[in-house]
Parts: sequence; structure tokens; C-alpha cells
Amino acid sequence: MTGTLAIVGFGLSTIGPGTATGLIFAAYINGVARQPEARSILQPIAFLGFALAEALALFGLVLAFVLK
Amino acid sequence: MHTFLREANDGFVPPSSADFDFAPIFGNSILFTKPVLMVFLSVVIAATFFIASSRKAAIVPSKLQYAGESIYTFIRNELGRDVIGPEFMRFVPFLFSLFVFILVNNVFGVIPLLQFPTMSHIGFPIGVTIFSYVCYHYVAIKKHGLGKYLKDICFMPGIPKPVYLILTPVELLTYLVTRPLTLSMRLFANMFAGHLLLLVFVLGGEYLLMSGILLKFLSIFSFGLAIGLSFFELGIQCLQAYIFTLLTALYIAGALADEH
Amino acid sequence: MAVNDEAAFWSIIAYLISGFVFWGGAGAIADHFLGTGYLLIVGLVIGIGSSFWLIWLRFIKQ
Repeated sequence: MTGTLAIVGFGLSTIGPGTATGLIFAAYINGVARQPEARSILQPIAFLGFALAEALALFGLVLAFVLK
Repeated sequence: MHTFLREANDGFVPPSSADFDFAPIFGNSILFTKPVLMVFLSVVIAATFFIASSRKAAIVPSKLQYAGESIYTFIRNELGRDVIGPEFMRFVPFLFSLFVFILVNNVFGVIPLLQFPTMSHIGFPIGVTIFSYVCYHYVAIKKHGLGKYLKDICFMPGIPKPVYLILTPVELLTYLVTRPLTLSMRLFANMFAGHLLLLVFVLGGEYLLMSGILLKFLSIFSFGLAIGLSFFELGIQCLQAYIFTLLTALYIAGALADEH
Repeated sequence: MAVNDEAAFWSIIAYLISGFVFWGGAGAIADHFLGTGYLLIVGLVIGIGSSFWLIWLRFIKQ
């Protein structure tokens, strides 16, 4: 077997942001389904949370390539 | 016990990206391999289907005509009218051929004997993306003029002047490189990963079948899972073709909008 | 409109990637030529900051 262990670490580290994104959008869909007029309030919050979670995933990707 | 479980001594070779390389068909020209042949085949299939379905157009449609028209109506209403807005009719032929081309090429992945999604070679999604990239930038430049369009991208209102030095390169990179890159990369990665997943289960089942007597029975699960995942892949392939077309329509709509 | 969410979703990912690539790449190149080791991290922090600023301006501050 060849390859680097950092990629395995990145694979494990994507579990967190993946779960987070799922939870954020589940809550967003739930909120909009219960109260459709709340969409304009909920949308920025959902996107802010999504951007934060996604930034961590990309940070893991960068560090997987950088750290030797 | 050990020999009972494993008779074959050669280890399992997992599928890799080398499984995506094909031998040339004619001679040794690398330009004409199985994926290229399948692209030509997809054009022939799509053209034949839609010519046949619209050849004898009648007020009471036949089954073939109904199938062709429902695909067209879906693209025109869901992607054209609802997304782009009043000027949508100009873009419907483009969106429609984009959708059908990607759909046929993706579905090749689960059709027996062909069984290779063409879009799992990165060159093909990039080629398709270039069309949509040129299209939405051209529309925006024609609508707003080159200077105003670039000014809209580079200098957004509401931030202090020195910060432009930090934000403008990121904004330019997003508009010119990263957004089309994510467009093609998502299609490519979905098709690549899906095909690799099917290969893992089919090759794993084959390996188990060649092994000891106990493992021969376990290979049934592997093959069964491969068949189940093929149907799952069919869903993903249709969804990816739809999402690609939807995002192209959204980018065109963004280019037509008054402000970005 | 529901479809706007889809476009915003992929645009946010594109912004994050380009922030990381541009400023992280600039930091890595500076590290390579100056022989230092900390500029990559500085670049990544600037990149994530600029990405968030742009996402804030485009999608969150209505």
C-alpha cells in the first residue's frame, strides 16, 4: 500500500463538517416548513453557519496537503 | 482454517484511477478511445430520439412524442421560465441540449455493456463547462457592457477603500476560475466516485467468488449491493444532469439581473 | 425562491475555495522564497477572513 496518512486524516475530519452541514440545513428546512414567512430571517443564519462549517472542512483539506 | 477461508493466494487488487484509462480503438491514436466513442454515440442517440419523437407531431400525441415533449416541457418551465425570467426563450435550446447531453452521457454508467459514465473523465465536464462559462459571461457583457461588468465584479459597494486590495483578487478568482471549476468538478467527482464504488463491489464480489467455499456465499451480498447501488447511481446521474443545468440557468439569470 | 438557495450554496463554496487558494497560495510562495515558515498560516487566515467578508456582503447582509 502506498499513499499518505494525511489523506486518511482528512477523510475522518470531513465527518464533522458533513454532519454539521446536514444539521444546519435540516433545521433550516424545518423552520421554513413550519413558518414560510420566516425564510428571509432564517436564510442568512443558515448560510453563515454553513460557511463556518465548510471553512473548517477546507482548512482540513489545506492542512492535509501542507503538513508533512 | 486459513486455507478454508482463503484459497487464492494473490491479494485483492483494489480498483484505482488506472481503471479509467482505455486502450485506443483504432491503431494507437490516443485521441480515439472508448469515452470519445461514447460521446459520439450519445449525440446520435439523443438526436435520433428527439427527431423520431417530433417527426409525426400530432394533436393527440403518441407515447414517443409524449416522452420527448415532457422532457422539453420540464426544461422550459422548471429551468427556463421559473429561473431565468421573461427573456427565457432565447436560452431554452441551449439548456435543453446541455441537459440531454449530460443526462445521456451519465446514464451510460449503468447501461449494460457500455457501463462507463463519460463524464468521469475530467476533460468532458470541463468541455461542457466552457460552453456555459462563455454563455453567461457573454450575456452579461452584452447586457451591461464590459467596463461596467468588470466594475460590478471588482468593486462592490459598502466597504472601505483599502480593503479592495484584499477582496478584489478573491472576487475575480471566484468569478473567473472557481465558480466554473466547482461546476465541472462536482459533475466529474460524482461520476468518478460512483463508478469507482460500483467497481469496488463488483471486483470485490469477483475476488470473493474465487476464494474459499465460505466466501463464495458472501460474494452474493457483494454482487447484490452492486446491483442495488446501480439503481442508486441512476438517481444520482439524473440529479447531477439536472443540477448542472439548473446552475447554468441560475448563472445566466444572475448575468441578466440588474445588479450582481 | 427555493432555487436561490442552491446558487448561494455553491457560490459560498466557491468563495471559500478562492480565498484559501489565493491568499494561502500567496503565503506559501512567500514562505518558499523568503525561507520563513509562518506566512502560510498568515495567508490562510487572511484568505478565510476575506472569504467571510465577501460572503457576508453578498449573502448575509441583505
